[in-house]
Amino acid sequence: MFENITNGKIGSALVVGGGIGGMQAALDLAESGIKVYLVDNKPSIGGVMAQLDKTFPTNDCAMCTMAPRLVEIGRHKDIEKITYSEIESIIGKPGNFKVQLKKKPRYVDEKKCTGCGACVSNCPTRNSVQLIEKEKVALQPQYVEKVTSIINKHRNRKGPLMPILQEVNAAYNYFPENVLKYISQEIDYPLSHITRVATFYSSFSLKPIGKYTLNVCMGTACYVRGSGILLEQFSEKLNVKVGETTEDHLYTLKAVRCIGCCGLAPVATIGESVYGKLQAKDISGIIEKKKNEAVEYAKVNN
Amino acid sequence: MAEKKRIELMVCTGTGCFAGGAYQIIDELKKELELFGLKEEVTVVATGCNGFCGQGPLMVVLPDNIFYGWLETKDIHHLVEEHFLKGRPVKKLMFIPPEQKEPLPLISDIPFFKKQLLIVLRNKGIIDPEKITDYIARDGYLAISKVLSSMNPIDVVNEILKSGLRGRGGAGFPTGRKWQVASQQSKSPKYLIANCDEGDPGAYMDRSVLESDPHSVIEGMTIAGYAIGSTNGFIYVRTEYPLAIKRMRIAIEQAQEYGLLGKNILGTNFNFEIEIREGSGAFVCGEETSLIHSIEGNIPEPRQRPPFPAQEGLWGCPTVINNVETLANVPVIISRGADWFSNIGTETSKGTKIFSLVGKINNTGLIEVPMGITLREVVYEIGGGIPKDKKFKAVQTGGPSGGCIPAELLDSPIDFESLQKAGSMMGSGGMIVMDEDTCVVDVAKFFIQFTNDESCGKCVSCRDGSDALLEVLTRISNGEGMDGDVEFLTELAESVKDASMCGLGQTLPNPVLSTIRYFKEEYEAHIKEKRCPALVCRNLIEYYIDPNKCVGCLLCIKTCPTEAIKGESKHIHIIDQEKCSKCGQCMEVCPPKISAILKITGKDINNMVQLTELISCKEWKKEHEPAHS
Repeated sequence: MFENITNGKIGSALVVGGGIGGMQAALDLAESGIKVYLVDNKPSIGGVMAQLDKTFPTNDCAMCTMAPRLVEIGRHKDIEKITYSEIESIIGKPGNFKVQLKKKPRYVDEKKCTGCGACVSNCPTRNSVQLIEKEKVALQPQYVEKVTSIINKHRNRKGPLMPILQEVNAAYNYFPENVLKYISQEIDYPLSHITRVATFYSSFSLKPIGKYTLNVCMGTACYVRGSGILLEQFSEKLNVKVGETTEDHLYTLKAVRCIGCCGLAPVATIGESVYGKLQAKDISGIIEKKKNEAVEYAKVNN
Repeated sequence: MAEKKRIELMVCTGTGCFAGGAYQIIDELKKELELFGLKEEVTVVATGCNGFCGQGPLMVVLPDNIFYGWLETKDIHHLVEEHFLKGRPVKKLMFIPPEQKEPLPLISDIPFFKKQLLIVLRNKGIIDPEKITDYIARDGYLAISKVLSSMNPIDVVNEILKSGLRGRGGAGFPTGRKWQVASQQSKSPKYLIANCDEGDPGAYMDRSVLESDPHSVIEGMTIAGYAIGSTNGFIYVRTEYPLAIKRMRIAIEQAQEYGLLGKNILGTNFNFEIEIREGSGAFVCGEETSLIHSIEGNIPEPRQRPPFPAQEGLWGCPTVINNVETLANVPVIISRGADWFSNIGTETSKGTKIFSLVGKINNTGLIEVPMGITLREVVYEIGGGIPKDKKFKAVQTGGPSGGCIPAELLDSPIDFESLQKAGSMMGSGGMIVMDEDTCVVDVAKFFIQFTNDESCGKCVSCRDGSDALLEVLTRISNGEGMDGDVEFLTELAESVKDASMCGLGQTLPNPVLSTIRYFKEEYEAHIKEKRCPALVCRNLIEYYIDPNKCVGCLLCIKTCPTEAIKGESKHIHIIDQEKCSKCGQCMEVCPPKISAILKITGKDINNMVQLTELISCKEWKKEHEPAHS
């Protein structure tokens, strides 16, 4: 790496990022006698750790880890902090390069400032709320009527999220991204929260799923009567993995928890129909039959 | 109320029978009755789950109490003509006990029903669940009128305390104590939740209660609401139970119409509303704090207790969460008295418990038995033993949180404490019977896979612990087990138990621990001998065609999905083990008279004669027959 450097410790190093990692790197380098430039794009070094109370996994106090390093960097003669700056370009190769920095203006003379904070408390615009205006989410026309009516039905009850998600899911079989954003805007729940809830439950999906959901019961009773093998057979016949949808969007194959027909084990369901005491040899017939039904249905409706 | 007819046909429309075509049977019955001009005399009622699901679709003829099972639409014409017109019950549709010839016509004579004691399921199959009048005719809503007219909330709590009723959801916490804590809270409003998020695989008690007798749950909830001082009830039902949700919805509407729910119930100043909330397929939501989060619309992860929900629950208010079965017990206790109830059962476990008896058993179905009955009585007398005369191996209770109870403990009583001592638990009431063809390693793996999938991921011990357990179990069942694996599993299981926050994590190692405790030799066989005694674990078994039996009929060759079997007509077929996916279809199609295909494991694999070239059956016989005789 340092092939151009022949006689040991010369030159200087650049550390980009003044978080806990960057600080430690800068100190280590400086201790071994190298001049260090520590660059950060924030007005001060410290990074994310400065915002933490404790750290995983030992629950150590974050400030206790960081503060000694902050002080040491402040005092070290071989470390030069360049904060509120961003790297524009790097020219050269490892071991021998030039860096161009862009230093953002602070409107304060750093050499004279003592960090007393008086300017902050006296700033006339400081106490006015500065909110970034959120962009309004608009629904695609095909969703408007249904989704707004579902939201209006539930928005005034306590805990509206689950009923809304359930009804939207019943209507579309999955959650289009835009619809989730719209729900978030309308009932004022953070999108991150809604997404977490929507991905927690197994009957919700963020991807479109097939016309029929082919559920193979993996309850204990079915399992001991061989539903595991059935599932594999379905997967092979449909040429999809469990949880995936066939190319023609007809089937989504799923393994489900007990559907309570243990007397009929092993059981699979397609849409509303239940197939009990299923054997591996029946599988092709069932898949084809449903497929034909769907074709017939399409014919009649066109 | 409808006038009494000469005959009532109670056709079960629980999910099992529904799937078997109960509604087609009903349509056919109605058609045939009309044809014979019996429409005025005979009425057809769609009831909730009868319980004897293994016989579905089925019906009971009232008032004679005659039981007909395995109905098919083609039998109906004959049945209506013979029985309802001419008065001669049809023997061939009646229940015939295994290995006997004479059918048992009366439902009360069938051993499956004989040993049962119906308290919660008192109305199953007798009433139409979609008619409130049927429930009222069977003394329904008497308990709530007794409570509202002559009891203080404190009396109700005390009565339930005295009865010794314990929660039927699994842990068995005394119901009265829960109510007491909630009733003493000063904060309001208070909430009541009926937990019907029945996620255990192989268990469907709560669903049956909702489907066959929804009003008993409504009445129980109203009484509970009165006792704790709540006016808002929720019933949390799995979305996988559409029929239960539909019937509950109808029941709530009807109860509101009759003034039994809503404002000023029965003319008093007590108000109570019930709202249905649906789950969306997350097992952990059965845990009470998760369930609360789910209703609130938050991420359904459990939280640390205390504060218990009875102190701080839904939206921070005191909340009582009871299982559906628990609540269905309440009206009976109130009308018949705590003393009567506490006489049933054992010292510490009172009353009855519903179990879903499934798996390798002759009479699958839903049963309600008094606490303290032995497992032997359940398996052999009610369940009618194991099909095909196989050997009983174990019974799994308590779902993924429970354990396996081996044959040695068949005579131990079923109650909360005994099951716990045996390394299992009552759980919500799944009872899965396993015979000698069930591999315990495979079963343990299945349950850990389930809990691993369903773990919400909040606690590391549960999330990663179940991963590690699964990895080791998979290794063992793949024949890659190592010395010390059993000890490692035990140690890991114990730490998962200790370090997890909610019931899911604390109990998930039970299937592993209990199978190791009772079937250690089977684990050892997998690890040391690479042998699966039950012939289940795929990597340890091979399918093998017995040359002495094969007649070269080509059936298995045609069926094999991987084309792993080679052979010609009248030549002994050979399975190419490299290609074989071990699906077992060849064994299914091999005619039972010949049954030339065997499953083998362990040392047997090397001891079998390995044919490499095709040889005709005749030639083989010539070479080998004399040597045998």
